[in-house]
Amino acid sequence: MSEFEKLRIVTGYEFLKHIRRRRLYVILGLTVVAEVVVLILVPVLGDGYPDSVMAMAALLSVGPSLATIGAIFFAGDAIAGEFENKTGFMLFTNPVRRTTLVIGKYLACYGAVLLLVILGYVIVSISLLSIYGSVPIETLSSFGLCLLYTGSVLSVTFFFSSISKGAMGATVITLVFIMVISGIIDSVLTITGQPHWFMLSTNGDSIATVYGGYEAFMAGLGGMGDMMPFELETPSIGLSALSMTLYLVVGFILSIWITRRRQLA
Amino acid sequence: MSEPIVIENLTKYYNKFLALDSLSLRIPAKENVGLLGPNGAGKSTTLKILCGLIRASSGAAYIDGVSVAEKPEHALSQIGAIVETPEFYPFLTPEETLGYLGRLRGMGRDELKHRIKEVIELVRLQDWGKVKIEKFSRGMKQRLGLAQTLLHDPPVLILDEPALGLDPRGVVEFREIIEGAGKDKTIFFASHQLVEVSQICNQVAIIDHGRLLAYGSIAELEKKYQSLESAYLELTEAPLE
Repeated sequence: MSEFEKLRIVTGYEFLKHIRRRRLYVILGLTVVAEVVVLILVPVLGDGYPDSVMAMAALLSVGPSLATIGAIFFAGDAIAGEFENKTGFMLFTNPVRRTTLVIGKYLACYGAVLLLVILGYVIVSISLLSIYGSVPIETLSSFGLCLLYTGSVLSVTFFFSSISKGAMGATVITLVFIMVISGIIDSVLTITGQPHWFMLSTNGDSIATVYGGYEAFMAGLGGMGDMMPFELETPSIGLSALSMTLYLVVGFILSIWITRRRQLA
Repeated sequence: MSEPIVIENLTKYYNKFLALDSLSLRIPAKENVGLLGPNGAGKSTTLKILCGLIRASSGAAYIDGVSVAEKPEHALSQIGAIVETPEFYPFLTPEETLGYLGRLRGMGRDELKHRIKEVIELVRLQDWGKVKIEKFSRGMKQRLGLAQTLLHDPPVLILDEPALGLDPRGVVEFREIIEGAGKDKTIFFASHQLVEVSQICNQVAIIDHGRLLAYGSIAELEKKYQSLESAYLELTEAPLE
């Protein structure tokens, strides 16, 4: 039996696990709620919807972004859970490489998040079509960047899952790393005018800034950019994509390497 | 293979703690061998190294002549194992779990379907085959663990306290299943239940502090020490230098 066939089997059963878990449907619900909140609050708090379809598209990208962050909740226990819950005693005594198991788990997590991201973009597209009668072509770029961001977030989560004793610890560490540590450093670098394209939080912003950058986004909301005390420089999409690819590759390779060496005592 | 399990000078340190101290054992084919020893003697460590779950600090372990450290997938294809209390994915049913593990071992769909039914009946979980494992008690998981061990009909069974958590009826049923399966298999069975071991095994290895203290047939040990219990108590009592 080929290792590829085993990978297909692992991915299938891991995906079945995700489909059976409540967290998939919780994040799905949150994604829908996020989009609905934007669609309701923007006209209520502002003077109707923005004139620019690009600004509204950027605002609506909060849904797919949220779904991507949801990846952390799928992947946090992917590796750590096998050790913490001792299911590894059942799984690792089978004639299958740990590399295959990690790749299968990764693909299954990616598949589950992909469903949420696609749903998010379907809502974005339907909303924009209903309000403006068109969907900007940049939505495709945003979708592509969102897929890349999903991969990088999953890789970082898999890395923390491979070094953590417990699933909860891995999930919390990843959230703190992406949302707090990366966010704080990102803010400091932005305010001080330093390059920040290599920060994962900045990379996540590219899903929205692909519609015209921070300034265009603020302008679309009615000139709110004038209220900013410092100049916001939007990192290039190319550099953001490069950074996300690095997080994806390095995090993924490290998680495989660590899992292969980790002992189940 | 005349000796499907071979352990050569196995040494294992957990940081500075010496769990196995140059342990060597050879388990002959189609023999049921019990691995006896007090808590912390190194029984589980030995079985975990054989199952590729941990690495030895030095020495080697072979399954059917294949080094577990060098070719783990090849070596593991020959065994069925229960290590510690078996845990399974709570979102899957026993049928799905066995389907997953059977397919990973290359079993065909038709063969697997037939075999799943067979082993689920063998461990008396037929009314629970389609129920999610999250509802299972420890004893039921132990039964499922035994089912996954026998699923692919491996020539070698490695069992670590397999009757732990079973009720008295479960212990008797488990013994009958192992006795039945053990007729044409090699069984390496760690326990500190002397009665259980003497009913299932014809040979025992007694270890303590990671060292082999005695290895032979139960009859020989009973002859030398009057009973298996006396042998166990006498051998594991002496402090090691």
